[in-house]
Order: sequence, then C-alpha cells, then structure tokens
Amino acid sequence: MGVPFEALLPYGIIITMFGVSGYGLHYVKRFANDGKKARWNRDLWDRQMMERDQRITGSFRGQSSNHQAPTGFDVSNPWKIESRIY
Amino acid sequence: MRFHCTFGVNFWTFESFQPNTAAMANREARFNQTVLVDTTPMPDHIPKVEEIGATSAPLLSASYFIGDRCKAYNDDFMKCKDESNGRGEFDCLKEGRKVTRCAASVIKDINTHCLDQFKAHWECLENNNHQLWECRRPEVQLNSCVFDKLGLKKTLPGAPEGQVPVHLRPKQKYAQYPGPQW
Repeated sequence: MGVPFEALLPYGIIITMFGVSGYGLHYVKRFANDGKKARWNRDLWDRQMMERDQRITGSFRGQSSNHQAPTGFDVSNPWKIESRIY
Repeated sequence: MRFHCTFGVNFWTFESFQPNTAAMANREARFNQTVLVDTTPMPDHIPKVEEIGATSAPLLSASYFIGDRCKAYNDDFMKCKDESNGRGEFDCLKEGRKVTRCAASVIKDINTHCLDQFKAHWECLENNNHQLWECRRPEVQLNSCVFDKLGLKKTLPGAPEGQVPVHLRPKQKYAQYPGPQW
C-alpha cells in the first residue's frame, strides 16, 4: 500500500528551506570575504595583520606581494585611543 | 591599578605567569574606543625607510626565507630592544631600518625569481585560514625554487633533532586532505 504524496510534501519543504539557508549563508560569507573562504579562529595577531592588509590593499582580505608599500602607508597607522578612568 | 574580578579569584596575582617585564615598557591593557590617524610624517632628522608592502599571506609564505637571510639583523634588533630599557622605539631605529630593508630585499628577490610558486603558495594560504599544513604541495615547490635561485632554506628553529621536520612529512595531520600532499 502506497504512501500518499501529501505525506512527503513537508519533507520537500524542510529540505528546500535548509538548502536555501545553507547555500545563502555560504554565498553571503564568500561575498563578505572577497570570494575567498572565510577566516576563522583569528587571534589578536591575525586581526591586526588583517587591519594592516586593509591599509595596504583597501580590503581586509586583499593581498599583495609588493616589496614596497603604497604611498601614504607610513602615515596611515592608527593610534588606538583609550578613555582614561583616572 | 589592579582589577579584581567577581569570581573570588584575582587573576592578576598570579605573578609567575607573567613575563619578566621589569626592563620592558609595561602598562595595563585597555579596550580602545576610537582610533586617531595622524598623517604628520616623521621629522626630517629621522632617516626614511621604504615600508614593506607585502600583506599577511605573502609575509607568512616568505617568513622562513626572511628569517634565513636576515637572522643577524633581526637578532641585532631584538638585542638592541632588550638592552634599551623600554626606549627601543627611539634607540633602535637604525637596527629597525636594517630589518625592514633586509626583509624587503627577500620579498623582492622571491617576486623576481619565484613569482609563480610564491603566488600559488600565498593564495593557497589565504584561502585556507593561513594554515601552513593545508598548503604543503605549493610550499615544497616554492622551497625548492627559492633554494635553487636564492640559496635560502626553510628550517624550523627549535625542531627536535633526529626527526623529520613537520614541513617535510608528506602526510599532514589535521589537513583537510588526509593523504600525502605531494
């Protein structure tokens, strides 16, 4: 005795919705990372190196292998300003 | 100022966990709220140096070769900073310029002679969260090219004697691809 097709409709909806969210997140993450795989488990060193990448290339994921920094790189280093509590 | 946390444990009293900072510039960490970009260039009496324009992945890819050629300059700089009692930023500018120029020369040479292998390796690193063990195949090609053309060799400092260094083992633990990488 066969299963009526109405019983399988929810499974179709579930698979479609998980697929939409999964592929959607995949593409959003790729888009946010300039088409590369996202970085993960970054520590302070990685984060400050990515800030330096951004100063050189204009993007956090941009890379360049020049031996010479672009003009203005030596004065674009930001000072981190802290609020004092005393 | 000491920070007392509310769990009943004062983490800052574990003095033995902290490095000997008597000779270093020591101050407590604070979260920063804003940044200030000051575009005033360095004064004229400080000699200029070309900053390195390589970003994180190429620098990581070239790091062992920089270490091979520039070890003397780097050690000299670290010794100077160690001995200058927290004034290293001012007193070690000369040594720092040598470090920068030496590293730039290595990157320039690799770009000139091994551009394809270099690019393949740092693009692989950039796509794999900068984890060296995912990119051994391009690394082996880069290492052999750099050794042939520039004579620089990758060695792991402090690696145990009598074992194959981790970057020369074909099978890499924790890599996504479990088999031999080359």
